[in-house]
Amino acid sequence: MKFSYEWLRELVPGLDVPPAELTARITMKTAECEGVESFAPWLERVCAARVIEVTPIEGSHNVVARIDAGPEFGERQVVCGAPNCRTGLVTAYVPAGLSLGSRQIRRALVAGHDSDGMLASGAELGINRDAEGVLELPQDTAPGTAVAAPDWVIEVDNKSLTHRPDLWGHHGMAREVAAFSGLPLKDPVDLTLVPAAGHEWTVEIEDFAAAPRYSALVFENVTVGPSPAWMQARLEALDLNPISNIVDVTNLVMAELAQPMHAFDLDKLHGKKIIVRHAKEGESFAALNGESYTLAPRHIVIADESGAIALGGVIGGAGSAISAGTTRIVLESANFDAATIRKTSSELKLRTDASMRFEKAQDPVNTTRALARAVELFQDVSPGIRLVGGLIDAWKPAPAPAPIELPLDWLDQKLGLAVPAERVRAILESLEFRVEEARPGVFAVHVPSWRATKDITIKDDLLEEVGRVIGYAEVPLEAPLQPVRRPWVNRERLYHHEVREMTAAQGFTEVSNYSFVSEEMARRFGFAPDDHLRVANPISIEQGLMRLSLLPGMHRCVTENAKRFDEFRLFEIGSEIHKRAGALPDEIPHFMAALYRKQGDGSAALLELKRLADCLLPGAAARPAEARGYEHPARSAEVVWRGETLGRLYELHPALLEAGRAAVLDLDLRKAFEMGPEPKRYTPLRRFPGSSFDLSVVAGLRVLAGDLIASIRAATGECCDAVEYLYSYRGQPLAEDRQSLSFRITVSAADHTFSNEELTAIRNGVMDALRAQGFDLRA
Amino acid sequence: MSIADTLTELETRAAALLDDAEDAEALETARVEFLGRKGALAGISKEMGRLTPEERAQVGRLLNGVKQNLEARYETRKAGFERAALDARLAGEWLDLTLPAPGPRPGRLHPLTQIMRELEDLFTSLGFAVVDGPEVETEWYNFDALNIPPAHPARDAQDTFWMEDGHLLRTHTSPVQVRAMERFGAPLRIIAPGRVFRNEELDASHEHTFYQLEGMMVDRHVSVGHMLYFMKSLLAAIFGREVTVRLRPGFFPFVEPGFELDIQCLLCGGKGCPVCKQSGWVELLPCGLVHPNVLRAGGLDPEEWNGFAFGLGLTRLVMMRYGIDDIRHLAAGDLRFLRQF
Repeated sequence: MKFSYEWLRELVPGLDVPPAELTARITMKTAECEGVESFAPWLERVCAARVIEVTPIEGSHNVVARIDAGPEFGERQVVCGAPNCRTGLVTAYVPAGLSLGSRQIRRALVAGHDSDGMLASGAELGINRDAEGVLELPQDTAPGTAVAAPDWVIEVDNKSLTHRPDLWGHHGMAREVAAFSGLPLKDPVDLTLVPAAGHEWTVEIEDFAAAPRYSALVFENVTVGPSPAWMQARLEALDLNPISNIVDVTNLVMAELAQPMHAFDLDKLHGKKIIVRHAKEGESFAALNGESYTLAPRHIVIADESGAIALGGVIGGAGSAISAGTTRIVLESANFDAATIRKTSSELKLRTDASMRFEKAQDPVNTTRALARAVELFQDVSPGIRLVGGLIDAWKPAPAPAPIELPLDWLDQKLGLAVPAERVRAILESLEFRVEEARPGVFAVHVPSWRATKDITIKDDLLEEVGRVIGYAEVPLEAPLQPVRRPWVNRERLYHHEVREMTAAQGFTEVSNYSFVSEEMARRFGFAPDDHLRVANPISIEQGLMRLSLLPGMHRCVTENAKRFDEFRLFEIGSEIHKRAGALPDEIPHFMAALYRKQGDGSAALLELKRLADCLLPGAAARPAEARGYEHPARSAEVVWRGETLGRLYELHPALLEAGRAAVLDLDLRKAFEMGPEPKRYTPLRRFPGSSFDLSVVAGLRVLAGDLIASIRAATGECCDAVEYLYSYRGQPLAEDRQSLSFRITVSAADHTFSNEELTAIRNGVMDALRAQGFDLRA
Repeated sequence: MSIADTLTELETRAAALLDDAEDAEALETARVEFLGRKGALAGISKEMGRLTPEERAQVGRLLNGVKQNLEARYETRKAGFERAALDARLAGEWLDLTLPAPGPRPGRLHPLTQIMRELEDLFTSLGFAVVDGPEVETEWYNFDALNIPPAHPARDAQDTFWMEDGHLLRTHTSPVQVRAMERFGAPLRIIAPGRVFRNEELDASHEHTFYQLEGMMVDRHVSVGHMLYFMKSLLAAIFGREVTVRLRPGFFPFVEPGFELDIQCLLCGGKGCPVCKQSGWVELLPCGLVHPNVLRAGGLDPEEWNGFAFGLGLTRLVMMRYGIDDIRHLAAGDLRFLRQF
């Protein structure tokens, strides 16, 4: 929302603060300003001039114009290319030496003739968008007088105004400025200009909840033409496109009082009744913007006998628009339900200056104020205009809300500052709240209608009013007194951090991938898109599904980094999102590590990840598992910890990589956390040293070392301390389908050291057991 | 020649041989010759039987003296040879320590993780619990419970990812306020760091996925002054120096009053520079006193309890701290970026 600095100054007489300072104060007291910019500073020097004589230039569309530019500039000669440059025209003169923004105006020879300055169009001056010809000013404009005034435009962040319907007009902002500057506020409205007597036209509202009020006036003897340059400049400064005197007045009143208005050409309406009703299903509506909309009953239309003439609170209709020939108008000033307008406008993707205001919950009391202001302005811009009859109005006023009780000790306590009662009263009254003393120490505060629609309903809202006007810089800092209490400990989160640190210490770098995957990514890894929770409104297909696995994201990181690095280690902790019918999805925290190497056969990487699993889950075992589609068909295992399957260890299917190999470890961190660390228990240290012996077992090529270790352990029995894998061997003298696996077995007893005889007996026992299982043993 | 003379002559000869031995082998030969079991000294002591007891005592003392002298010389030379042998061996083990060391280095934690841990530790030390909330949320927790009813214009400001099942991706960490009140009741001190989502086009400064840290303190009689004190202490800890803060009005439906908290620009000290757009102040975080409707949604009586809440943009903080110019680096997984932290 843009505010004119000069306009605010008109509404707050005596305001004498430079634009930048005012902008800073508004930011500190009311709403965040995004900046302040100078508007058309050249207008200071641009003046009206009368064309005395026009001489065509042969072979050029330009003419030489002799002008009277008033007392300061006197008679000048300019070369002008505008088609409307004619003798007697009163237009805008830009003296040489002035710059219009980036355009420097110089005295120069144009088409062989001296041109001392220039005549300018509204667009060149920046006061409207008309570039067809030079600006046409009223004949009675005295040469030398200013065309319009320069200004400063303060831009306020719309997000900081969503709760303030009143700040969508200058008068509302002026009230703020007056309040925090300690100055009086000028009310531009003279309500006596709206006679109460009605009119032969009537209004009927079908649903007062959707449209609480509809007020209108009828005017005749209207002349449609351009509005005065000052008005156009003001609208242009605020980005409101000047159109015609009648439309410009409706926009100016909106910019001043936050009340959107609309003027209909009465002669294009049918009947003598305005009906505010829900649209019919499929009702078609041609809007002012040239678009056609298909409506539904949840939309509100303004209709006459023949059909919709406006989309209520959003936009007027094409069929009843003001045109050059309009002589009679109906001027609408209505009020609509905020939620209805917001829904309509977002559904039809049609945001207008009107809908933006109505969706903030405008004040129904304001409709007649806006009409009164328009009556006054019409008289200036359309001389001879006549009001016919008086106010046409349909309104079911809501009962005034009960006053809000404001206990002053509560206010002091919550603010952390003792504010004298009289100061509280003065602040609230400067914002036009009515303050009574309900009982000692408690104010009863009546909320003005323009703050009562939604903004202010509870005492906390009043606290903010008082606090911001005083300024929070006055509030002394105070340490909160809190009982000493140990906070709840989020052990699961701490566990994740431990896993992160352990993994990083092993050389892995953390990545943070999106929670989204695309359908294509999901399919590539064999995940069915329909198993995923779907995003209903993704911006791109990349965000179509919620991830069911960290793998697609990790795969992307691996392939991207593989373009630059021959070897690297990555990991991520993030949630898998599993949809559940009728409930929030199950978000399961997972850990995934990946080790990529461009060279080698990939086996070392898998074993390194197995070691990582063992670091994170001490004693974790890998149990060969049937490979999934994205896994190397012969290199895939489940990770088993204390009897529970916690994840998978595998090599990524090499077809998923352009080059190199990637090993992947995927763990369910929730399960790991819930199982908790293995309980720690002390066992007395053995007093007698252990003894060890080595065995080499000849076995088939796919016999698992893990199985052999388990067999050896079982065969050794209770005295077994450790079975350590040493190495494996293939080749002579073994058969081609045989390998030899060597182990070192350590045994000990609690009460003595084994003798050689005992050791031999144990060793023979183990060998016998292994032979019984069909294994050969090498010496 | 008397035995004594023989001994003296022998001692001189042996001392010379031991002292001048060229290597350990020559030394050992000399030792065997004189000090060995069948050596010269042993031979002399065998002859002692032929002496008178008086002579024997005298020669015995003499013999011992010579023996000790020669043994000491031998040990000294032996140690010398051993040292020299060790030195020679070690000299051969010269190693070029400028060679690069093999093996993986510790990896890096993501910069967001690092800042989250830092803040979690800080808040834990202040008595706050660290609470998690789900990424996929209900409309109730994300909006309604936070005093943002349907059709509230504030919903516009937060472009929401909706799920096909009617849930949504949380647009802020604020839903955890209500979840925490339900779970822990009052008094309450929590932070909730985590991932949030906005349905926005990606560019250098806009992400659809980013991180926030929600903070909330609920107690009896919490005031704006308490909040200011707390924020100032907190920010001093985050930035590692004293900061000047100011509050100005800000609209967020779940707080009343609501504030934008600015800090005086740390770069220019408030004089005005490009970072603070010449204003001397940098907008840092939204905060406010918890709206009574939010307390009610969390099951607390606003007449009994109140509190303050704030939201810290972790992604923005990380970018500020390291001067990161493109938000997209954070999720790109590029090691050239990640290894810098």
